Amino acid sequence: MAEPLQITARGKVALATVMARKGVDAAAIGASLGLTPPTGPLTAQDETMTLIGVGPGAWLAISEYGQAGWAAMLGGKLAGIASVSDQTSGYIVLRVSGEGAGDLLQKGAFIDLDRTAFGVGAAATTVIAHIGVILWKVDDAPTFDVALFRSFADSFRDWIAASAPGLAAPSSPVR
Amino acid sequence: MRLPCPFCGDRDASEFVYRGDAAPVRPATSEGFYDYVYLRENPAGPMREHWYHAQGCRNWLVVTRDTRTHEVFGAVLARGAAQ
Amino acid sequence: MSRLASGGLIDRTRPLSFTFDGRALSGFAGDTLASALIANDVRLVGRSFKYHRPRGILTAGSEEPNALVAIGAGAAADPNSRATTTTLYEGLQATSQNRWPSLGLDLMAVNQLAAPLFVAGFYYKTFMWPTKLWEALYEPLIRRAAGLGRLSMEPDPDQYDRNHAFCDLLVIGAGAAGLSAALAAARAGLRVIVADEDGRLGGRLLAERHEVDGRPAADWAHEVVDELASLGVRSLARTTVFGVYDDREYGAIERVTDHLSAPAPGQPRQRLWKIVARRAVLASGAIERPLVFGGNDRPGVMMAAAVSTYLNRFAAAPGRRAVVFTTTDSGWATAEDLLASGVGLAAVVDARDVAPVAAERVRAAGVEILLGASVTAVHGREVRAVDVRTGDGGSRRIACDLLAMSGGWNPAIGLGGNLGGRPVWSDAIHSFQIETPPPGMTPVGAAIGHFSLAEALRDGALAAAVIASDLGVTGPIAQPPRSSDDPSGASPPGQARMKKSKAFVDFQHDVTVADIELAAREGFVSVEHLKRYTTLGMGTDQGKTSQLNGHAVLADATGRSIAEVGAILSRPPYLPVAIAAFAGHHRGRHFRPERRTAGHDWAVERGASFVDAGLWKRAQWFARPEDGDWLDTVNREVNTTRGGVGICDVSTLGKIDVLGPDAGRLLDRLYINTFSTLPVGKARYGLMLREDGFAMDDGTTTRFAEHRFFVTTTTDNAATIMQHIDYARQVLWPDLDVQATSVTEQWSTYSIAGPRSRALLQRAFPDIDLSDEAIPFMAATEFRWQGETARLFRLSFSGEMAFELSVPAALGDGLIRMLFNMGRIFDVAPYGTEALGVMRIEKGHPAGNELDGRTTAGDLGMGRMMSRKKDFIGRALAERPGLVDPDRPRLVGLKPLSGEVRLRGGAHLVGLSDRPTIENDQGYITSAAWSPTLGHSIALALLRRGPERHGERICVHDPVRGADVEAEVCSAVFVDPEGVRVRG
Repeated sequence: MAEPLQITARGKVALATVMARKGVDAAAIGASLGLTPPTGPLTAQDETMTLIGVGPGAWLAISEYGQAGWAAMLGGKLAGIASVSDQTSGYIVLRVSGEGAGDLLQKGAFIDLDRTAFGVGAAATTVIAHIGVILWKVDDAPTFDVALFRSFADSFRDWIAASAPGLAAPSSPVR
Repeated sequence: MRLPCPFCGDRDASEFVYRGDAAPVRPATSEGFYDYVYLRENPAGPMREHWYHAQGCRNWLVVTRDTRTHEVFGAVLARGAAQ
Repeated sequence: MSRLASGGLIDRTRPLSFTFDGRALSGFAGDTLASALIANDVRLVGRSFKYHRPRGILTAGSEEPNALVAIGAGAAADPNSRATTTTLYEGLQATSQNRWPSLGLDLMAVNQLAAPLFVAGFYYKTFMWPTKLWEALYEPLIRRAAGLGRLSMEPDPDQYDRNHAFCDLLVIGAGAAGLSAALAAARAGLRVIVADEDGRLGGRLLAERHEVDGRPAADWAHEVVDELASLGVRSLARTTVFGVYDDREYGAIERVTDHLSAPAPGQPRQRLWKIVARRAVLASGAIERPLVFGGNDRPGVMMAAAVSTYLNRFAAAPGRRAVVFTTTDSGWATAEDLLASGVGLAAVVDARDVAPVAAERVRAAGVEILLGASVTAVHGREVRAVDVRTGDGGSRRIACDLLAMSGGWNPAIGLGGNLGGRPVWSDAIHSFQIETPPPGMTPVGAAIGHFSLAEALRDGALAAAVIASDLGVTGPIAQPPRSSDDPSGASPPGQARMKKSKAFVDFQHDVTVADIELAAREGFVSVEHLKRYTTLGMGTDQGKTSQLNGHAVLADATGRSIAEVGAILSRPPYLPVAIAAFAGHHRGRHFRPERRTAGHDWAVERGASFVDAGLWKRAQWFARPEDGDWLDTVNREVNTTRGGVGICDVSTLGKIDVLGPDAGRLLDRLYINTFSTLPVGKARYGLMLREDGFAMDDGTTTRFAEHRFFVTTTTDNAATIMQHIDYARQVLWPDLDVQATSVTEQWSTYSIAGPRSRALLQRAFPDIDLSDEAIPFMAATEFRWQGETARLFRLSFSGEMAFELSVPAALGDGLIRMLFNMGRIFDVAPYGTEALGVMRIEKGHPAGNELDGRTTAGDLGMGRMMSRKKDFIGRALAERPGLVDPDRPRLVGLKPLSGEVRLRGGAHLVGLSDRPTIENDQGYITSAAWSPTLGHSIALALLRRGPERHGERICVHDPVRGADVEAEVCSAVFVDPEGVRVRG
């Protein structure tokens, strides 16, 4: 029995933008971090950290437990090979999970979020209702995390509220 | 219209900002600067253009597009694209 | 009642009540409004657009030009709804349109008497002279008479949903060809979406009496729909694919609840689909062509295939005694359907000389057959009889109340031309066909002139097989289903015309044969001109039943073949789409998203009024009860700040981290001044130019570490500058090792300004050394607060001693509350964008009004900031003579000569003794404000040679808002010109 749709704001996460310096590849960054970042719009994960590919040589680094001083810590480890900017306050991260999670996001995103096209570990930076989002698939429940600039929080919530009723009226053929 | 971002994949054109002809090269000296800023070829046919993936990976792309038919032949990252 | 005793696909166990023009009627589930009206003997459903001629139902599909009614009432009313595609539901209210006072007695029908005036080109020839009557008389008259249907004039109360979908194959149309294609593709494992405008899939399988695989076609369709569902196909019923767009994108509109009498609250009414399909099959069928003869628009004249549909699918007989007038074999199928239903059939009139096989069966049933004959006229306001010219040249009058006409079939290829592929004439099917379909699209079945059922089934399956193979999916090619069949006979349509009474070509726009011939005589011989001059094909039906006939008349009139005359291009939307469906969620307050700072809620509590700055909401001022009006508020805020301390939320300004070994080098190439030499812990004001030499944006940039610069921009240009920085580092100088990212949202920033600002901050942060030695003007430092890094900048936009304080936005709300707590003893007040603006004008700081893209650094008094030692964007063209001309308007201040006078932005400057003309224009006011500090109005202006003219008097010319006034040119720095205050 599928879980009902749930949307929660993830409060205890820390975020930072990591941008490789010139000539530095993912392997080098991986050596310093202990986790090799993905090449492409994908995620890489270990027990405490998720790295999301947001561009060539650029990642959103997430501390899943909201480690204090996250950006500073990353900056220290990556000194000389990557530039780090704290984004813990800049984004809010919403967890959208349960039945209809993918359907809801599909109403806003003009990229293929079907199971066959967007599997666990896939990520995308795109736009929903004129609001920039970074989204990635956490598991097959399905569970998606969606990061967006904090100032858009209320507007994004309004879009969710407006779109959710449309989930209950799925298109169906008539006999 | 959809553009094939090399990093993000095919995306709706509304995610991008269009700048213009990718052919002009910024001159090293003042000579030729007027042409660089103002003069364009405006071909009817395939053209290489600069587009910025503003709502995606925020990378500048060189897109080859036919200005008559809108057919897009491909896109590469501008960084490192051969001029 | 004309409901047949048995048959049809209606559900007779579910009767439905509805009204038409207030009259209570009943039908059944499965009816359309049109079929129910026919079953209730309602023959008159509307009045035509121009002549208000009585009209009945012509077709059974979305090509219907006549039966346009308003459904519902009030704000949700839907005008111009086709009764033929409106699903009947319990309680449906339908009202006829375009008639007054009633459908039966329409006084506007007097237009018919003026018919000779209302010919082609009417709008171009009349209401021309006298021209002065245009606004007063002609336009109101035309507006009142114009249009078809009426809007409620209330806001649309419904919700509209949106969805996106991706698939391997989009099947447009779920008739025989479409279902066959979808089935084959789905069985092969492709991702398939099927869309059909009907609520029930099957197309003409539901309307004709055929068998597929040994069972009734409708049953076969039903089973296919079930199998498609089991194979995971997304079947969108009640969904019209309305447009084809570049790169295999399709737009579709799904009517989600329009067919329900009581939709659940909150349900969307319609849903807009944007579909990206690697391939598409256009199985949109064909539209039957009317015949053109006098009185062919009378109620009771219907398309033959529509008659069959009403008989077979809806068990509704459109008449009691019919005549069939045909040039096709399919018209004979209608004759047999009439006989099978027990409707009287008086005669079959076939314009061709040779009878098809079906003729024998019809003759055997005792029906008169007239070959090589044509109907030439219709008698009666509603059909009572028809005149027939027989093959031997004689004339017959035949009594009837229904004339079923079939002039041939036009492939419904509108979508095929959306991307510019003009249809071409085919002699074989005597119609237009797609020659170059949009990329990825395969038209099949009747859409390519294959009018038989067997061809449709075969085409669909074959297309699917080819597509599957194309997409790399291999598998056995299944045999298409077997069908009972009809040999299709396409034959050229005969055109029989009588010039005496009206022979209609475009029913919706009342365009007759005579109109087209007149247009041709007047020189409008191109089909594009014909369309616009006569309005042929410009109605809501977009020429679906009229275009070909119109072009045939034009061809005749201009001595050309139809092939030479050609066809127009069809543009989206194929059927009308509600604007609200495109808007979806983005209406009213949600038109654009709103951005709020961390201090927003606090500002709301303090009574702020907000203003839009791009997508942001910014506090404009904070009114208090004792303030008289907004100006009092703003003046109070300025006075409080300059006299004590004020705090302003400046979080909306763009903030960008520019990082890496070459960060300084990059900034040197972007700003006119130098940043690579900026010491750590210092801030510097910078100006960026566009490459054409004009000023683009300004801001302060701070260096926090050797490889860490913090760039700020104006609010409006945040995204532009981010894009600019990315362009510079990715395209122009990719060899530089520099990274950049937006941190606008990461930081919450407040400006704390005024002589007591330092004291307030000291009270808030007792452990930080805020002395001039520790933090001199233009210095910056970081410190810890609440476990996070906070930043303090000694910057001033107001000209007072001031600081900017930044914390991570999660702490922004806490910070502002803490500062106001701490500031109570200093009588701190919040100030908004208005006061901010007044103070910067008092200090002569350029802002958006001055940085409008037409000014140079020199114009704004920053010419000397431009470094001569480095290259930067804009340098070369900024040196053009036109941009360094000393005659250019340059920044000055203006003050009025008399105290009460208000200077206003936009007013122009002319010499005192000069007439205000373009030649004498010397500049204009860019920004103006009331200065509470000085007690009079002040302004910033761009004035020719301005800096050399301080002390001069000038005329401020403002014809739009008031009389001319005199002002004195002065320094733009009105308050504290020495800059003493800012240094404490």
